[in-house]
Amino acid sequence: MTAWLVRRLGQATLTFAAVAGLLFVLMRVAPGDPLARLTDERPIAPAERARLRALFGLDQPLTRQLASFASAAARGDFGVSIEYYPVRVGHLVAARLPPSLLLGGAVLLVNFSLGVWLGVLQARRRGSGLDRWLTRLAIAGYAMPSFWLGLVLVSLFAIRWRLLPAAQMTDPLLSAEAGLLARGIDVVRHLVLPTVTLSVVTIAATMRYQRTAMLEALRRDFVRAARARGLSERRVIWRHAWRNALFPVLTLLGLWVPILVSGSVFVESVFNWPGLGSLAASAIATRDYPVLMATALLVSAAVLLGGVLTDLGYRWLDPRTRAA
Amino acid sequence: MARIRWAALALISIAAAPLKAQSDQRDSGTITIVIGAEPTLPIPTLSPAKQNVDVGSLLFLHLARMGKRLSTTDERDFEPELARSWSRRDSLTLAFDLDTRVHWHDGQPVTARDIVWSVNRVRDSATSPTYSLLLRDIASVTSEGPSRVVFKYRRAYAEQMYDAVWQVAPLPAHLLEHVPSASLATSSFATHPVGNGPYRYSRLEPGRLLELVANPDFFLGRPKLERVIFLVVRGAEAQLNLMLDGTADAYEAPMLARQVTPVIAKPDLKIQTMPSFSFAYLLFNQKAYGVRSKPHPILADPAVRRAITLAIDRQSLLRSTFGPYASLVDGPMGLASWIRRLTPKLPGYDRARAKTILAERGWTDRDGDGVLEKDGQALVLRLNYPGTNLPRVTLAEPVQQMLRQVGIRVDLVRLDGPIWAERRTKGEFDIDFSQTTLDPSPSGLVQSWSCAGIGGSNVASTCNPAFDRALARATATVGDAGPAWRDAIRALQDGTPAMFFYSPMAVIVTHARYRNVSFRPEAVWSDLWRWSVAPGRRIARDER
Repeated sequence: MTAWLVRRLGQATLTFAAVAGLLFVLMRVAPGDPLARLTDERPIAPAERARLRALFGLDQPLTRQLASFASAAARGDFGVSIEYYPVRVGHLVAARLPPSLLLGGAVLLVNFSLGVWLGVLQARRRGSGLDRWLTRLAIAGYAMPSFWLGLVLVSLFAIRWRLLPAAQMTDPLLSAEAGLLARGIDVVRHLVLPTVTLSVVTIAATMRYQRTAMLEALRRDFVRAARARGLSERRVIWRHAWRNALFPVLTLLGLWVPILVSGSVFVESVFNWPGLGSLAASAIATRDYPVLMATALLVSAAVLLGGVLTDLGYRWLDPRTRAA
Repeated sequence: MARIRWAALALISIAAAPLKAQSDQRDSGTITIVIGAEPTLPIPTLSPAKQNVDVGSLLFLHLARMGKRLSTTDERDFEPELARSWSRRDSLTLAFDLDTRVHWHDGQPVTARDIVWSVNRVRDSATSPTYSLLLRDIASVTSEGPSRVVFKYRRAYAEQMYDAVWQVAPLPAHLLEHVPSASLATSSFATHPVGNGPYRYSRLEPGRLLELVANPDFFLGRPKLERVIFLVVRGAEAQLNLMLDGTADAYEAPMLARQVTPVIAKPDLKIQTMPSFSFAYLLFNQKAYGVRSKPHPILADPAVRRAITLAIDRQSLLRSTFGPYASLVDGPMGLASWIRRLTPKLPGYDRARAKTILAERGWTDRDGDGVLEKDGQALVLRLNYPGTNLPRVTLAEPVQQMLRQVGIRVDLVRLDGPIWAERRTKGEFDIDFSQTTLDPSPSGLVQSWSCAGIGGSNVASTCNPAFDRALARATATVGDAGPAWRDAIRALQDGTPAMFFYSPMAVIVTHARYRNVSFRPEAVWSDLWRWSVAPGRRIARDER
């Protein structure tokens, strides 16, 4: 097991290094002036522009820029943001990571608890009215553009009925002396609409995968045998059938892990959620190379980690894979 | 069923949780302002970005500020800030007497040493090439005692006062003189600035908000609004929604008419407009696409450029796109610029005249495809514009259609912002849909429109010696410089380097509970310390 894990992590590290190098080169050869926004449409002296280029190392040859980046990144230093100058990239990412983890985590939780439960329910009542309606609803949600759904929810729940906040992660006027409970409730209130928006448009896949896998499992002999032994239906479903129907969902979960750090650009924009998705999108728009590299590498790491965790999950659930 | 009831109760309790903070009993006001970008460096002279200038204007004062007319040439039009008075010793010397009541937020008095150190810091070309260029006519800045500052100039000109007071808001020398200039932006001062203005820096939550609190010792009186919170909100929808759901109290709205329509329907919100220093224009490249050594095959001819300006109905485009939130301009200046009043009117829309001019220059449609040709070359031009700027995106297509009607084919080139900027800088365009924000002084025109600016901000390689001569005369004029400026603008218009299009109004939405509301074009929120909440209209967040 240890040897397997070391080998698997080694592969992931090599892949990560290759992705980092490729990303760096692709970003630098892409057209666009990273200083365009910094100067804010105001005329500046050519010498000032040259000074800024030197400040951000943009006047160096590509190979030297790559070498500097690699040695600094190995120490965890991604330099200074161009867009948010003089803020260091590490500070920016550290500030944006918790909101991304929170929103991504909430979406994963809703997606894989409610989605799995509904998928199992559909499989148990295959062909019923409930099954058909849940399928229709899931597909309707899947077809909805997330930014549109977000705006509709804001319009109803925040502006018309004033039940939930329209945007932000916290109330800007919450007292500094507010207790942990008050802060927690405040964050949860702000979390509801973005989580619902993202979950509605993503839960369909989980439901469909789980339904299909569960139907397959319910047809197997060991389920029939469990029922013949007189086990309760709940036990048959959740202890016997579901465990065998988990593999496709586990694969899906591995693919979804990156949402923890990547966020959703549209939803973060509609709800002004201060996550990494909007930071990365703004870095792309402004060619803020240091921020772009840091966020892209974080997402790459999450993708690779998702793969490793999925493989680990397989090995835990299915002893046959341990021999491979 | 019981589970569902509990879940419903939990949801209701979350939804009904108190929106706003607990408060103490002191009577005060609060304002929450939505801004589109994070003010990471609200220190004068360190960042020209709008969000930094807006926040910095509440933390730091200038020696004086421009009066209501925003004239940059009339010393009498300026209003005191750090300086309680000023006097002219001769045509090359101005002396300022500081108001001794002004203190830095750490309690130290503001002295002449602060002003001398601050101005001299940016006059150093190694520290700030742009400022050293802007302040090149200042020969020296010295102190006479703790409260008097003397500026000496290299030559006599009308904007001496403006140069002394506008560009630099002083910083505290006692805190910064040992900090190397290159490290100032990354010093602890940059993250916790100590100013002398009506508000003090309180806290920054990166990516979310910046809070300022009233300076109780402000020499002109304690601000009525105790707290100012700048909420960083990038998306236009989220900005509007925060106004509509009552979280925010003020914001500078996007200027397209349709984008402020939901606000008009809310009785507790007010829309106000203010002229800006921004202006948009179609810039004609007078050199070949990306090749500065060759003249442009079509646009080098001023008659063609003139025909293009006549073929576009600027007024109707503006009305349909902006409603009342923009005005036509006839030269390179925003609505707030004082020289706009002197600027001669450009000829209006005249499609027939445009066609005639093109025909006179030999452009005819021989093959009947609707596009004019001359010497085998079709009259085809590329119009570059940034895809991130909604007004320009909206206007590009109607401009294309109007030019099509006179036989000019325009290929629209919608570009990502940084790529658009890069192509503009390299001269890789035929026509560029530009927007610029200039300082209040028209002397800045030299950078973008004179022969001297080629290789720098004059990206279209415009060179009109008659304009350069007139501009030199205008900037050197002492006393009433109006006629000289009128001549300079007329000379610029004659060369038709661009189609001067519009100046957007700043559209500011505020909650109706505020009184004494006023704005400044150079820094929107700088008068905030005069605002107050009308009695009887306080809401929970105004009580602390």
